[in-house]
Amino acid sequence: MSEILDEAVLQEEDTQKGKFLTFLVGKEEYGIEIKYVTEIIGGIQAITEIPDVPEYVKGIINLRGKIIPVMDVNLRFNKEARDYNDRTCIIVIDIDELSVGLIVDNVAEVISIADADIVPPPDVRSGFHNRYIKGIGKIGSEVKLILDCQRLLSTEELENLDYIN
Amino acid sequence: MKSVLIVDDAMFMRYTLRKILEKNGFLVVGEAENGLLGAQKYGELLPDIVTMDITMPELNGIGAVQLIKQINPQANIVMISAMGQQHLVREAILAGASNFLVKPFSEERVVEVLNSI
Amino acid sequence: MDKSLSKEPMLEMFIFENLQLLEQLEQTILAHEKERCLENAVINEIFRIMHTIKGAAAMMMYDGISSLAHAIEDLFFYIREFHPDEMDYSKICDIVLEGIDFIKNEIGKLEQDQEADGDSSPFVENIGQYLLQIKEASRNSKLINEAAARPAGHRKKFYISTSKSPPTESIKRYHALIYFTPGCEMENIRAFNLVHKLKDQAEQIDYIPADIIENNDSVEFIRENGFAVIFSTHLQQEAINELFMKEAFIDSLDLRVMEDEEWEIEQLRARNQIVLEEEPSVRNNEVREIGANLHSGSTRQSLISVNVDKLDRLMDMVGELVISETMVAFNPDLRTAAKLDNFHKATRQHRKIINELQDIVMSIRMVPLSMTFQKMNRLVRDMSKKLKKNVELVIIGEETEVDKNIIEHLSDPIMHLIRNAIDHGVESPEKRASLGKSPAARVYLEAKNEGGDVYIIIRDDGAGLNKEKILERARARGLIQKPDSNLSDGEIYSTILLPGFSTCEEISEFSGRGVGMDVVLKNIEEVGGTVLVDSTPGQGTTISLKIPLTLAIINGMRVKVGNSIYILPITSIKESFKAKPDNIIVDPDGNEMLMVRGECYPVLRLHQKFQLKSALKKIAEGIIVIVQNDSGSICLFVDALLGEQQVVVKALPKFIGKIAGISACTLLGDGRACLIIDVANLINPSKG
Repeated sequence: MSEILDEAVLQEEDTQKGKFLTFLVGKEEYGIEIKYVTEIIGGIQAITEIPDVPEYVKGIINLRGKIIPVMDVNLRFNKEARDYNDRTCIIVIDIDELSVGLIVDNVAEVISIADADIVPPPDVRSGFHNRYIKGIGKIGSEVKLILDCQRLLSTEELENLDYIN
Repeated sequence: MKSVLIVDDAMFMRYTLRKILEKNGFLVVGEAENGLLGAQKYGELLPDIVTMDITMPELNGIGAVQLIKQINPQANIVMISAMGQQHLVREAILAGASNFLVKPFSEERVVEVLNSI
Repeated sequence: MDKSLSKEPMLEMFIFENLQLLEQLEQTILAHEKERCLENAVINEIFRIMHTIKGAAAMMMYDGISSLAHAIEDLFFYIREFHPDEMDYSKICDIVLEGIDFIKNEIGKLEQDQEADGDSSPFVENIGQYLLQIKEASRNSKLINEAAARPAGHRKKFYISTSKSPPTESIKRYHALIYFTPGCEMENIRAFNLVHKLKDQAEQIDYIPADIIENNDSVEFIRENGFAVIFSTHLQQEAINELFMKEAFIDSLDLRVMEDEEWEIEQLRARNQIVLEEEPSVRNNEVREIGANLHSGSTRQSLISVNVDKLDRLMDMVGELVISETMVAFNPDLRTAAKLDNFHKATRQHRKIINELQDIVMSIRMVPLSMTFQKMNRLVRDMSKKLKKNVELVIIGEETEVDKNIIEHLSDPIMHLIRNAIDHGVESPEKRASLGKSPAARVYLEAKNEGGDVYIIIRDDGAGLNKEKILERARARGLIQKPDSNLSDGEIYSTILLPGFSTCEEISEFSGRGVGMDVVLKNIEEVGGTVLVDSTPGQGTTISLKIPLTLAIINGMRVKVGNSIYILPITSIKESFKAKPDNIIVDPDGNEMLMVRGECYPVLRLHQKFQLKSALKKIAEGIIVIVQNDSGSICLFVDALLGEQQVVVKALPKFIGKIAGISACTLLGDGRACLIIDVANLINPSKG
């Protein structure tokens, strides 16, 4: 695990195109562009709860003096809550000066996916409802769902979601 | 490496000159924001060269040249002048300034003048 | 993550210094405008500042700015030198103020990473014309024109040579033709410089063109034809060559020895066009005058400018120091140790030093509101003039300090509120007279410190807000749902802060488009503040901005509620005790209340408010803490009080947004993140 963490953290900007960090949420594997990832915290640490927030916002944690919010991706995707165990990780992503920790069930590896191997997500009509997917990445015979980080963190989405629910 | 004292009331000019000088192998040993302080600093630091603005509060460039020449008749002073200040430059030369630069100046000109001293 | 890229340091320096100069200049003009004349010190200051700005702008190649500054500099140079009689002081002030506006605007563009591409030529022309006007009107005009127009080579005057001795054996005569480096400027003075240096080594110096002192036309001549010097000297040709070439900006030198005949011819030629050489006249009076202007208006403190990023880092480090001090002093390992008297003594001293350090660092970031407030003078002046209203700006408490980060967010809102006050609040002089009000309306701009917050109050003695109209419009736009009877005056007035309230009709030249009160509110909320609107019909309106002092390190009380720990600011705690269940009264709506020494306080169960299931529910088992602020007091029910500690206030991550009852968060000694309770919000949920 630590090798993945080191590799993920040490990569240079210009070699990051097409590199994705893959992780497990429930049974599906998702990928996130490595350029958004600043850190991976192995294991769940003390989370301070906050009142009056959506269920998937679990609270805040202390990351070396910086206070960042953490989000349970399972719950964000409206799946069943899963217990945290020693493989649960927090992926810290950074977009537009917003830092958020994503609680995921497992971190797999860093892989390269060429642009050509990424196709748009399936239509809603085909039963695909996850609005946070930017595209589908193909590696050999495997398929990874590429996350749209901006949507994931967007607060407009948050409001809309609550409204729909 | 030649040492330089920069005398100019504008922070921006002092900064710009410093950058140019340091980049081109001169050692900026001090700055002063008016002629009086310039002359005082000269006495303390005894730099190889002084760059002297003409228009300054408290004591202008010409007055400062006179003072500095009293401290050291061999002092090397380069006037920094604006267009239209011919009279003043002339007086500065008569007071003992070695040479002058006209604003706006380029890096090359600064280096050329200071190297010629 | 990284902050946005910082601008080139040189540009930053340019912007910083020149904005400062412009502010200074503006204050000076505004202060002196009312007088009938401009003192020498003021004229000199204007000249000097424009000269400086011109120079810097020329270096950066901002032609619009430099040509405008140059024009104003020329105008004031003339005024300074010749003291013309016929001067329209109001117009001159306007010229300078317009110039200031243009340059400020251009610099504003630079701050936004845009080009400073404004065209100042209309201003330059205007100023040029005005200068011509006053020159013509002045009696001195003739003299100047004469002085400027002395042509070279058209008059025969006599030249007094320095030496008349015939050449001896060891003396040689030389002819030097020098071309200066193109673009080095002031070639005539460069020539003068050369001649001046030559004097030590040579004699019988003659040169063409002759007038390198007075006439600036000789510059062109020298550029085209070179500078010709003939002289006699002991020195060898190599030495002379070296002497010339050592000088800067010599593009080419043609040096040759002259034969006797040639010498005489050249000498005659030169002499026939030479003007009387003047004695150097050092402008002693100028030096003295400038010396005398020393102390007028320049109260210079010892100041340096520091990069704000460095201050931010310093603040962060001090915050960490405070936390780590707690981690040392309250370290779990110490619980087992026996006698710790010396240790505690040392930690007390440690804490004392850190407290002082923290005070000093906080004060570094604090900046007085003076600059921001003084800027409003200009606004009030301009608006009063344009709207033909008589308005006086009264500034109170400008020395009040506010964190540097915040001050940038205050300028626009304050400006907007003052605009509103003058545009809509203040009545016309006629109306005021008919109402028996003083002819000069007053707008008060006040700042004060109160309990950890800074209040900025904008008050006018104008017409006040029209409650009915506001109510009508708010209803029409669907901004209020409650029935009228339930609305307090404050709530009605506050609706003007809601987005969508202002309409097109209200947009005047000053109020602008889309800059409604809702934008003011947004700006203030961004720095964690609140806006309060109050008014008395016929008497005026008061808008209060409450700004918290951010990045505070506060004294907090750790309270336990269930498995969570919260921080209560010590300043808000009045007292704490264990309550008897019998003393709790329940009202018909189910709200709990507590009688304490004859006073009745509402009770707020924090475990309910924060939805904490594992907390103590029985009144007898927990603790009651009475908290208070300006608007009132309430009783909080918590599990236990754990102890005092200093905490560094950190803002809640933006992602989280606003949470009722929580103002910020912090890190405890054990590394856990912990929430800080917003007492004001708990006491008064609709405000705070």
